Amino acid sequence: MTVSVTPATFSYVAFDAELIRSIAAGLLAALGMADHDVTIDVDETTPLARISCTIDESIHVHVDSGAFEDTRKPRQQSETATATALGRVLLRARDRLVGGFGEAPPDKELSLAQVAAWETYCIGRLQRFGVPVNQQRWRYNFRNRHGFSDATDAAFEQIWTSDGLTWDQLNAISESAAASAHA
Amino acid sequence: MRKFFPVEELARDERFNKITMRDRMGDPRTALNVSNDAPAKRPTNLRLTPDRSDASDGARSLMHGIFVGEIQALEGAGRTCWDFETGTEAPFALKLDMARQCWDEARHVEISVKLSDWMGGEIGQYAENTVLFEAACSTDPVLRLAGVNRALEGLAIDVFTTMKEFGDLAGDPYLEFCEDWMLADEVTHVKMGSDWLRKITEHDPDRRKKALEFQSVVDKLFSYGGTRSESQESPIGLARRFRELAGFTDDEVDDIAQLSMQALNERKSAVAQARADQMRDAAAQFATSAAAE
Repeated sequence: MTVSVTPATFSYVAFDAELIRSIAAGLLAALGMADHDVTIDVDETTPLARISCTIDESIHVHVDSGAFEDTRKPRQQSETATATALGRVLLRARDRLVGGFGEAPPDKELSLAQVAAWETYCIGRLQRFGVPVNQQRWRYNFRNRHGFSDATDAAFEQIWTSDGLTWDQLNAISESAAASAHA
Repeated sequence: MRKFFPVEELARDERFNKITMRDRMGDPRTALNVSNDAPAKRPTNLRLTPDRSDASDGARSLMHGIFVGEIQALEGAGRTCWDFETGTEAPFALKLDMARQCWDEARHVEISVKLSDWMGGEIGQYAENTVLFEAACSTDPVLRLAGVNRALEGLAIDVFTTMKEFGDLAGDPYLEFCEDWMLADEVTHVKMGSDWLRKITEHDPDRRKKALEFQSVVDKLFSYGGTRSESQESPIGLARRFRELAGFTDDEVDDIAQLSMQALNERKSAVAQARADQMRDAAAQFATSAAAE
C-alpha cells in the first residue's frame, strides 16, 4: 500500500501532508483496504468542503481544504475532520470495489438523496470503527434530502445501524423514505 | 461598571475561539470562481439553497454565525443602554428601545442554540468573528445606531430571509418558523435605528452624514468577499422587501446592493491578482532552475 499526498507542503493553509498520509494509511488498514494505493489531491485554494474519488488501479481522492479544516480555527487542520472525510470516501470506494455496489450509478449521477443515504451508511460504520461523529449532523442532512418525517427518521436509523447493505437495498430504503415523506 | 468595553475583553468560555476581521481577510482562499474554472471544480452559484451539495453544512455554519451574531448584538445593545448618559447623550426612549432589543436578542440566542442543536451543530464549533461587536464600539450613539441597528441588523434581515427560504424549500418546519419570527424582530430593530437616526440628527446634517458614512463602511465590511449581495455567487441575498419594511428607502437599498457588488468584485480581483502573481513566481522559479541545469 502506498499513500501519496499533494501538495507536499501547503501555503494557503497550515495542513500537514504527513498527518494526512498517516490518517489515510490507518484507515486503509482498519477498513481492510491495505492492498490499495491511494493518491490524495488537496485543493488548498478553496475553503469549500467537497470530497470525491475516482477508482482505477488506484484510488484517487480529490478534496477541498475545508473538508480537513478545524472549523474553530480557520486554515488549521483537524484530525477528526480529516479522518471523517477520508473515512467516508474510502468506505464508498470499498463498497464499489467489494461490497455489492456494482449497480450504483457513477458518483456524478447520484441524486442528493442517494448521496445522503450512502453517506449515512458510511458514517454509521465509521462511528463503529471509533471515529468521533455527531450523529445529529448526519440525521439533519438525511432529513434535508428525504423530508422531515418519522418515516425518514426510521430509515435513517435502519441505514445507520446496518453493516452489510447492497446498493439495491440502500437505494430502496432511501426511495421509500422519500416517498413516505412526500405522501 | 466600566463603560465602552473593548472587543478583546468580551467574556467567552473555553468553547469559543474568537477571530477578527483581520484574520478573516488574511485567509487567501476563496470559493469564488475567478478563473472560469469548470463548475464541477468551482461552482458559479454559491447561494445557500438546499440543492447545494454541501447545503446542510453551509446552513449549520450560517446558523452558528447567527448565534454568535445574536450574542454580540445583545452585548452591543446592552452597552448602548449603559455607555451614554440619559438625556444629555441619549434620550431615555432610545435606551428603552435598546433594552427591548436586548430582550429580543437574548431570546434569539436561545432559539439559535436550539436550532443549532437540531441541525447537528455545537456551541463554539465554528470560529466567532467579532466584527459585529466592533461596529458597536463607537463613542457616538448615533454612529452606533447606524452601525448596529442599520448595518448589522440589516444584514440580519438578509441572513434570516435566506435561512427562512432554506427551511421552506427543504421542508424543515422548525427552521422556517423560527427564522420567520426572528426576522420580524430584526425588521423592528432596523426600524428603531432608522427612526432614531433621523430624529436625533434632524437638525445636525453633518452628524447624520458621518453616521451614514460609518454605516456604509460597516455594510461593506459585512459584505466582505461577496458574502452578501444580489449576485448568485453570494451565499446570502439582499432582502429588498423586508429592508423596505424596516425603513430603508429604495435609494439606500440600491446603495447597499452596489456596495455589496463592489465588495464581491474587489475580492475577485484580489484573488485573480494573487493567482497571477503566484503563476508568475512559479514560472520565474522554473526558468531559473532550467537555466541552472
